[in-house]
Amino acid sequence: MTASTHKLTVSRLTKRFGDLEVLRGINVDIDRGQFVSIVGPSGCGKTTFLRIVGGLEHSDSGEARIDGRVIDGPGTDRGFVFQQDNLLPWRDVVSNTEIGPEINGKLGPEQRARTKKLLELVGLRGFESYYPRQLSGGMRQRVNLARALAVDPDLLLMDEPFSALDAQTREIMQTELSRIWEEGKKTVLFVTHQIDEAVYLSDRVLVFGRRPGRVSEDITIDLPRPRPLDIKRTPAFVAYVEHIWKLIENDVRVSVLEEHVG
Amino acid sequence: MTQQALSMENKRTPDPSPFRGLGGLFTHDRRWAWGSILGGLALWEFISRVVVGSKLFLAAPTQVVMAMIELTSSGEIWKHVWTSSLEFFLGYFVACFLGVALGLAMASSRAAKAALQPWVSGLYATPTVALAPLFILWFGIGIFSKVVVVAVLVIFPVTINTETGLLTTSKNLIETVRSFGASSRQIFFKVSLPSALPFIFAGFRLGIGRGLIGVVVAELFGARAGLGQLISQSAETFNMPNLFAGVTILAIAGIAMTSGFQALERKLIPWRE
Repeated sequence: MTASTHKLTVSRLTKRFGDLEVLRGINVDIDRGQFVSIVGPSGCGKTTFLRIVGGLEHSDSGEARIDGRVIDGPGTDRGFVFQQDNLLPWRDVVSNTEIGPEINGKLGPEQRARTKKLLELVGLRGFESYYPRQLSGGMRQRVNLARALAVDPDLLLMDEPFSALDAQTREIMQTELSRIWEEGKKTVLFVTHQIDEAVYLSDRVLVFGRRPGRVSEDITIDLPRPRPLDIKRTPAFVAYVEHIWKLIENDVRVSVLEEHVG
Repeated sequence: MTQQALSMENKRTPDPSPFRGLGGLFTHDRRWAWGSILGGLALWEFISRVVVGSKLFLAAPTQVVMAMIELTSSGEIWKHVWTSSLEFFLGYFVACFLGVALGLAMASSRAAKAALQPWVSGLYATPTVALAPLFILWFGIGIFSKVVVVAVLVIFPVTINTETGLLTTSKNLIETVRSFGASSRQIFFKVSLPSALPFIFAGFRLGIGRGLIGVVVAELFGARAGLGQLISQSAETFNMPNLFAGVTILAIAGIAMTSGFQALERKLIPWRE
């Protein structure tokens, strides 16, 4: 295998659920340290794609490789941040965060120190011994993120992690994620419905079309970092959002109609 | 959100206890609760002394208390309490153990589920206490027949609750630990089992009441000693104070075990809302 700068290489990936063709011939290369978002209408297969990369789902043909290794199941080289926080209610913040290392037998004083740093990084210092039911939605998502980072993954996979949050919390979490990413420069694959969220966070946005799901455009976001929230009102930012919206507008209309017709 | 706001949120955890009324004795509205109890006892005392007027049919609360003191000082009561306790706890623990095992089997194997389901549902719905005379015929009037009756009554709620608890484990939680590469063994011990614990404990709690019924009913049909035997013997000799003494001890045991069990649940599963 030649040493490439690609962290993730996906080639000719297809997936069907029965008669439904969900993904057709996906080809994607993602560079080390890149923040890449996937946007697209409901039913475009973006979550399925992420789950295949996470090893939670198998593709029908084609393959996905991380550092040249073919993905055939879950592993600690990837950290999955789910849409729901999925915290274990009987574990406090620390032991929820450490479940990944625990499962892989890597719990110890070293991990303790790392967990402490991580919780500080996601802004949960002082909440170590809280139980999930004692936390707000935003804080639970911070634990969700810390839990994925605790296995020190090469690739962070995020499936609409902020979609259940209210608009204000969501914006705060976007800036936080941006800050955390700039500190660690992990490779991130981020699925979202929200175009402005994708543009704000990403180096690249992959636009997915629907039925079957495929990459319809690959857009490089050339905005300076760090990005303050008010960058969302600059003409360059708005132009990106407009451009992406035009690309998926038609698909979105069709999918909305389909949902209403049933 | 500030720490203060959070800690305030924690304070209003609702009390899911079905015995809230009993808990109320020690908190608010206690005047009404105590008043009601004392009023009821006074009415009972009045009816039995003035209206009925015969110890052969109804014993007054004061007479019951006297009977309990007498049974205790003569030492007779301990024989009964010891026998019934032994029967109860043997049957109860065996049933809890087997019930959890059966529930596990039904939750983890399709074949086990298909094979066991008709028996479990059928026998749970049957008032199996009606089989007590049969067990006494089979196993004699010693403690073994009572242990069997208790076990048969307790095992089914435990089995059903264990199975339900394991099957209602959130798929999302399972998938989350799976994404970290958890084995099925790890999934069971780190997710399914803790998630089923509140259900399993509810099954144990249901078992307490059913087990007590089992002890008493089985003893009524023939026993050498035990609270049920005390009750049936007292009824035959029209000794109402002793009869009510036996019933009172059983009531106290039931209340004490159930509320003790709830305290244990709060300790062991504090995350339950």
